[in-house]
Amino acid sequence: MKEEEFNQDEVSLSWKEELEQDVREETIDEKIERRLEEMSKRRLEEKQEAENAKQQQKALWASKKINKFDKLRYREQKCREWEVRIVNQNMKDDKLGLYIHIPFCDRKCDYCDFVSYSMGVDAQHEFKDALFKEIEMYRTQCEKMVFNSIYIGGGTPSVMYEGFIYELARKIYSTFHFEGDIEFTIEVNPNSVTANKLMEYLQAGVNRVSVGVQCIDTKILRNVGRFQTIENIENAFFLLQKMGFINTSADVMIGLPNQSLEAVRETIEYLVEKNVKHISVYTLQVEENTQLYKNIKMGKIKPLGDEACIKMYELVNKMLKKAGFVRYEVSNFAIPTYESRHNFKYWKDVDYLGLGVSAHSFLEGYRFNNTPRLDEYIDLINNGNLPVINRDFIRDSERRTEYIMLSLRLATGLNLEKFRKRFKEDLLKTRATQIQNLIKNGYVYIEDGFLKIAEQHFYVSNRIILELL
Amino acid sequence: MDRQDKIRNFCIVAHIDHGKSTLADRFIEFTNTVAKRDMSAQMLDSMDIERERGITIKLTPTTMKYNYKGEEYTLNLIDTPGHVDFSYEVSRSLMACEGAILVVDATQGVQAQTLANVYLAFDAKLEIIPVINKVDLPSAEPSRVIKEIEDIIGIPAEDAPLISAKTGLNIEEVLERVVENVPAPKGDTNAPLKALIFDSYYDSYKGAVSMVCIVDGKVRAGDIIKFMQTGKSFEVTEVGIFNPKNCECEVLQAGDVGYICASIKNVADTKVGDTITLLNEPTNKALDGFKVAVPMVFSGIFPLDGSKYEELKEALEKLQLNDASLHFEKETSTALGHGFRCGFLGLLHMEIINERLEREFNLDLITTAPSVEYKIKEVNKEPYLISNPSFMPSVQAIESMEEPMVRMEIITPPDYLGNIMDLCSERRGEYKDMQYLDANRTKLNYIMPLNEIVYDFFDKIKSLSKGYASMDYELCGYQESDLVKMDILLNGDICDALSIIVHRSKAYGRGRALCEKLKEVIPRHLFEIPIQAVIGGKVIARETISAVRKDVLAKCYGGDVTRKRKLLEKQKEGKKRMRKLGSVELPSEAFISILKIED
Repeated sequence: MKEEEFNQDEVSLSWKEELEQDVREETIDEKIERRLEEMSKRRLEEKQEAENAKQQQKALWASKKINKFDKLRYREQKCREWEVRIVNQNMKDDKLGLYIHIPFCDRKCDYCDFVSYSMGVDAQHEFKDALFKEIEMYRTQCEKMVFNSIYIGGGTPSVMYEGFIYELARKIYSTFHFEGDIEFTIEVNPNSVTANKLMEYLQAGVNRVSVGVQCIDTKILRNVGRFQTIENIENAFFLLQKMGFINTSADVMIGLPNQSLEAVRETIEYLVEKNVKHISVYTLQVEENTQLYKNIKMGKIKPLGDEACIKMYELVNKMLKKAGFVRYEVSNFAIPTYESRHNFKYWKDVDYLGLGVSAHSFLEGYRFNNTPRLDEYIDLINNGNLPVINRDFIRDSERRTEYIMLSLRLATGLNLEKFRKRFKEDLLKTRATQIQNLIKNGYVYIEDGFLKIAEQHFYVSNRIILELL
Repeated sequence: MDRQDKIRNFCIVAHIDHGKSTLADRFIEFTNTVAKRDMSAQMLDSMDIERERGITIKLTPTTMKYNYKGEEYTLNLIDTPGHVDFSYEVSRSLMACEGAILVVDATQGVQAQTLANVYLAFDAKLEIIPVINKVDLPSAEPSRVIKEIEDIIGIPAEDAPLISAKTGLNIEEVLERVVENVPAPKGDTNAPLKALIFDSYYDSYKGAVSMVCIVDGKVRAGDIIKFMQTGKSFEVTEVGIFNPKNCECEVLQAGDVGYICASIKNVADTKVGDTITLLNEPTNKALDGFKVAVPMVFSGIFPLDGSKYEELKEALEKLQLNDASLHFEKETSTALGHGFRCGFLGLLHMEIINERLEREFNLDLITTAPSVEYKIKEVNKEPYLISNPSFMPSVQAIESMEEPMVRMEIITPPDYLGNIMDLCSERRGEYKDMQYLDANRTKLNYIMPLNEIVYDFFDKIKSLSKGYASMDYELCGYQESDLVKMDILLNGDICDALSIIVHRSKAYGRGRALCEKLKEVIPRHLFEIPIQAVIGGKVIARETISAVRKDVLAKCYGGDVTRKRKLLEKQKEGKKRMRKLGSVELPSEAFISILKIED
């Protein structure tokens, strides 16, 4: 079979094209090889840097006999510096992000309203074929575009059969153009991650792993239909550490039914101890069309009240701040320099391409998204069509809403000057009374030309954003 | 034989929902006035609102031809509104008739408005033909109802036709009675013109059209007519009869019911109850009973979107063309901006106007709590009337205040007597007397302040009596009263549109209830909002809306920004429907919610 294919290729391809393809194949392998080397080098450097910084800081504090308060000040100072750096770095970032949605899970959690199916390996292969065809469809359009981040999300990417991610990475590298260092994230579930898979991810060039921890009190998780044990979680972090993944992220949920403040505290303590660099904290939202919604409606499960959620959120803030994390976005915390580059693209004026079932894209002024149905996705692609079902050109008025909504989610806030240039509107004039009121009441402040939501009021950011629309 | 001998002018009086409009439909059908395929239910109710609610607001007359013993008779039916708000219109319509069909529901018997309208018919010296309707219903008790009519109203009813307007049973018998019992009009065709306006409406091509009954004389196109109340004269362009659509004819003579068009621009010139005569050959005496319809209930109407002020103004002007009893003048509120203070005949009238503004003119409105007109006597000043609480002077300046009172008549089965009497005394009613009409029916008479009944009195009576009790009222002058103005402070600012005038004894209860209700309807803000009810600087009730603590969008999953944006846009749309008062945003329901509070 393979022989035949090759023969056919020989017939159909001219010798020049053949040669070119060979060259390209080689360079990709080389690329991966080089990247792996770079990565291990960088990991060592990072380790060394972190160690040095720690020693320096200790020495500094020891020499100056800095008290607790000053330590806090110092940390804040560092964070501020970091913020400015992030602003400079990320605001300049105009390279594209690539998102791949893997629509499979072992089992759908009760609260989840994302697209995922629990299906066998055959379906995964079918999906893979369609996905690769979809990637191919964008080859020409993206010829001149430069990417610098990949994010494989889902669903649960780690439930895919072994070898898939490596194949996918090769396909991506051979289709899209990347420049500089890449941030390559994959989402994994503690119970489907294995040593083999992690090794494969490393080989594929993955350098950031996001673990769906949610809560270490797994009884609470079982209650909402998520089955993972503390052993799974323990094992996942053990493997990650062994494999040398440093840039690890964890998803944490607060406001789960029956969740106690203590469970949240333990979860954060655990993650800090595991040396996680990035934590996303989401408050449970009960979406319609979920099992959880039904369970609550039927009175089987009692949702947690607002006040409890607020307490948890405040606790998480306090604990992570103490542990050296900075909240760079409403629900995202990172040790400085470990912020997610890919996520930033969503919050800024940067294009991204989403592939796979239900994936969303923002490309050349259009927002579009793929069908959320796996069968339709496969059918459309096999008939030579893009699986896109919605495509909207984003008018300036809509862009304005998005800009305010997205930029105020970031700790760095809204760049007033950039806004003025982009939308020909001076927000300080057009929303003068609202902003004055918000400032007077301490909800927002202006610093270095950026409008920011005060830290303690992030939990009502929606209301604040509404005032400015 | 005089042509008037073949004319019968009659109307139908009934309590609301006793089947008046349906009976009129059957008459039209029976006399083939309208081809069957053109019939619609409640033919004479010309407005959608009337058909939907099953109530008649605007009366539409119709002329029918009926063959009785080989002779053709002209039957002019003048339908009348059944609601208490419009009793003056009813009285004018009755003036145009010689007879009235009294429709009584065989299942419900005599009700308050049956009585009220029948008394109006007695006043107009009409021949009354009782008819028992809805005899097809299983719960019908015609013999009991007949006895009731005889006992309560005091007219013979033993051979009253038992009909069903719905099924058409015995309709012809009623028409026969009309011809036999209703006297023919006895006007003088050769005397000077004397025509009674019983209604008028505005037509965009013909101008204000007067619906008239010719008492004496005749009128035709080309005549110069004079309106005796206003003194204005116009040249008649068209006369005609109702068929039931307008149908032009050459001349209207004594005994006829028809319409007169005279290129009149303003419907206010064709006042209901006025007498029309000829300019050159005037009658020396106008018909009596003319009254100017006075609004009893007032409320502020504001466009939700401030920029729609002009549209609202135009809409009100257009409605006024058709409805001279609608009064409005400009009003400015700090909370609601520019709008109008409108005067209505009653609550139903207010609701109808509101609904028509929203439906026919596509306006979103905020209506403030209805108020009545108070008489204020300031020191060294002539007494004057106010209907807007914000214009009430400070307590020190007021020497005395008076409020309008009504004579209230309630008919109820004795079972609910206790509840209803409690309600009346709670509403500051002064008990006058009580009559046992029969074993199942008691009539209560009260003198009550109008401001206690404009809110929800009617609904209360209905719910206390499981729908059996009925009421009717008429204005009976002013009475001195201890009234205070209660302001509502939101986050420390007075919201003038929420101010009300209330009796001192009721102030605490109402203040507390109002604050509680506002706490329910005002959404939580970023900050805490104190709500206070204040009388003359003294806080009498307080509630606090706590600040919102959690409102955050979850992650923009996989870059699905559109969904979040749409969520925000929806929220923003909701915000747009709010009224901003200082720093507080009020939903439009807040203003009307004051209506629905329980003391």
